[in-house]
Amino acid sequence: MILNEISFDFSNISGFSLTVAIVGYLIVFGALVLLFFIYNLLPVFINFKVRRKLRKEGKCEDCDVSQIEGNVSAAISMALYLHLNEIHDEESDVITIKRVSKQYTPWSSKIYSTNPFLRSN
Amino acid sequence: MRRLLTIFGIISILGLISFTFPTTTTESTGSTDYTELQAAPNHQNTTVVPGSDAKRGIMQFLKYTGFANATPGHLIMLVVGLFFIFLAIRFDYEPLLLIPIGVGILIGNVPFLLDSGLKLGIYETGSVMNYLYFGVTAGIYPPLIFLGIGAMTDFSSLISNPRLMLLGAAAQVGIFATFIGALVLGFYPAEAGAIGIIGGADGPTAIFLSSKLANGINILPDGTTVQNLIGPIAIAAYSYMALVPVIQPPIMRLLTTKKERKIRMKPPRAVSKLEKILFPIIGLLFTAFISPSSLPLLGMLFFGNILKESGATKRLADTARNSLIDIVTILLGLTVGASTQADVFLTDQSILIFILGALSFMVATAGGVIFAKIMNVFLSDGNKVNPLIGAAGVSAVPDSARVVHLEGLKNDPNNHLLMHAMAPNVAGVIGSAVAAGILLSFLL
Repeated sequence: MILNEISFDFSNISGFSLTVAIVGYLIVFGALVLLFFIYNLLPVFINFKVRRKLRKEGKCEDCDVSQIEGNVSAAISMALYLHLNEIHDEESDVITIKRVSKQYTPWSSKIYSTNPFLRSN
Repeated sequence: MRRLLTIFGIISILGLISFTFPTTTTESTGSTDYTELQAAPNHQNTTVVPGSDAKRGIMQFLKYTGFANATPGHLIMLVVGLFFIFLAIRFDYEPLLLIPIGVGILIGNVPFLLDSGLKLGIYETGSVMNYLYFGVTAGIYPPLIFLGIGAMTDFSSLISNPRLMLLGAAAQVGIFATFIGALVLGFYPAEAGAIGIIGGADGPTAIFLSSKLANGINILPDGTTVQNLIGPIAIAAYSYMALVPVIQPPIMRLLTTKKERKIRMKPPRAVSKLEKILFPIIGLLFTAFISPSSLPLLGMLFFGNILKESGATKRLADTARNSLIDIVTILLGLTVGASTQADVFLTDQSILIFILGALSFMVATAGGVIFAKIMNVFLSDGNKVNPLIGAAGVSAVPDSARVVHLEGLKNDPNNHLLMHAMAPNVAGVIGSAVAAGILLSFLL
């Protein structure tokens, strides 16, 4: 019903409206492009400072401090987590099986291990 | 059973008293009722027949019930509200949004006697819902939502690969294309700007901009008042955000080849704490200087992120990303839902806004995907981007990124795109807020 009544009037697009659309989009795009350049340069500046410090201390001549891959940092994080929470593979080798007070259990019952049916032969 | 009999007995006695001593009640309360009814605009034809107070009271009560005031519009909106709740529970489509909105639609569309001074409707000054709705009309809730989003968003994927920011920028084409489309359909520029922002797929931004541009208060240059489109725009924006898993995948598949969908991207590098702290500070200052009108949104977004990344304000960050955003989401969802009161909401404009919103969302998705493909032309083999992540340039965080991830997994079960898709997704949030600021400064 309403769809039949829709009218397209292209004369509504004035010069001002076109300016808003085109300039507006270019500003949004430009703003994010500039942010891209800034954030692209950011690690370079940070690395420069850290690299100079390391070079002064003679620890590292040509190391890329920021290019640690996610996989590597995930492995380091897991190792630290395991270490700090003492969830480690090296056990103390002390076996700590406690003796239970209740001796009898159906699992150890002899009656369940016997066959109630006699063999014919 | 005994209790039931007691209650029934009391009601029967009260009924008998009212029928036996009609004059007494008329003297005490009936006269005041009569004057009140005379004063009420809708009850001027009410006649008082002596001795029929009980009947008149019942008729009066019936006149105030929802059954007497229901219109087909109310019933349609109630079905829509129930459908939203169904979608949220059955298909898990943005339940945190759709359930408050769905219940809000039910609350806003329970029919009642208009202009009777009950102060029930969301558009009636002095009603509780009207007070809560003030947060929408004054644009208070959206910045608070942005604060929470900032405090819960990890920008590290964007920091590690800033070129993906361009995808977020490309997807904003939907906003400006819809702006032109709305103008062609006869909307005024201010209204068209508010409608266009639906293409940003960002509910809070859409509400913020429509509360400023299409609020039913502003006077246009030709002397007419701008339409109040906050309700339809908000509902359209949130509906399409919830329907991301339905709308986006077909467009993504249409615009990409199977080979392109299988592209594996380099894992993002680790980001230092200093970079994470500098990101919101630089972003805040830079975007605010370009578009100061977007300051309420981006200021709060980056403020929330500083709370998170500084590491020194854990309590504030926790409040912003948990309690605060939950409270505001409840209020926002409920009031936006209730603003769809049938007599205000069910108009030709609302239907047009829904059509434009859908087109806007599709154009935005296509814009991101196509731009990703263009980027690939200039990138070396090892650095190519999977064009699917371009669809995440619309700022429906994190649904859009999740849809991209799932679409990637369908083509290659070992290709996890979530982290990569989050970069254009959060860039889209920044882009749509900047676009809102620009539209605001041009059209207000």
